[in-house]
Amino acid sequence: MLLKKGIDMGRVVIDSEKCKGCLLCVDVCPKKILKKSETFNAKGIYTVYADDKNNECIGCALCAKRCPDIAITEVYR
Amino acid sequence: METLVFQKPKSIHKDCKVTFCPGCDHGVAIRIIAEVLDEMNIADKTIVVSSIGCSVFLNDYYNLDIVEAPHGRAMAVATGVKRAKPDKLVFTYQGDGDFASIGLGESMHAISRGEKVTAICINNTNYGMTGGQMAPTTILGQKTTTTVNGRDAEVQGYPIKICEMASTCEGAAFVARCSLDSSKEIENTKRMIRKAFESQLAGQGASVIEILSTCPTNWKLSPQESHERIRKELYPVFPLGIYKEKTSKQV
Repeated sequence: MLLKKGIDMGRVVIDSEKCKGCLLCVDVCPKKILKKSETFNAKGIYTVYADDKNNECIGCALCAKRCPDIAITEVYR
Repeated sequence: METLVFQKPKSIHKDCKVTFCPGCDHGVAIRIIAEVLDEMNIADKTIVVSSIGCSVFLNDYYNLDIVEAPHGRAMAVATGVKRAKPDKLVFTYQGDGDFASIGLGESMHAISRGEKVTAICINNTNYGMTGGQMAPTTILGQKTTTTVNGRDAEVQGYPIKICEMASTCEGAAFVARCSLDSSKEIENTKRMIRKAFESQLAGQGASVIEILSTCPTNWKLSPQESHERIRKELYPVFPLGIYKEKTSKQV
């Protein structure tokens, strides 16, 4: 199967209401896609968002396995 | 086409909110246990014994049958559960204060008797829930709210090493210490938990998994610095590895 570059690489689903802003996922991301957000959730915590403009996410799920709060609920590849 | 490579384990409640402090490794431990149960397909025949401490709210997370034990008596309760229902998988989820301080007698006797249960002990070197007091596993020199100048061997004595102690018991079938400080160690911990459950299902004896975990709130460090502390300060005192593994021939 041909891998079309930039399309369907990977995707993470983040539940920002469950995120507590420990930023452990930011350190393990090999592509440095996850970043601290400028906005906060209902608890007043600056959460994490996936800044994936260039479709760089490889769907390795390291962030989801690291997350102590199961805030990264799904990872697609 | 997209394929789902990770999702929340089915043994965890659908709308569960993990209520631990930010960066606490308890959430990872709870998730990987649920993943192991799902992979082995034994969630419907599992009974969990939870204890007092940060592990007390286990029923908020797990979609499993849970018995709440009095402080320190999780292994004693697990003994009763396992003897009444020998075909079930029974494991306890305890902290180090619960397992090695108030419950040391119950824990060591249950292991010595070779009860076919698994004890999962989260070692964060202090009493996390009550505000960071000295625990039996607090390492020498560590500052806690009850050892403000650091633990002194002359006054408070030396830390208890759970795995070394448990591995001397003849009833123990599988004893291992693992950590949650990196992605690699998380995978390794998951493998160890699976081995312990398999050992229990094979009827080999008691199994103990000690997991080095962080307590960023009471260590007064960031989650990242806490993992660094595990690698620098705890690894020399609590070496990782398998301390005892009974093969099927020895049983």
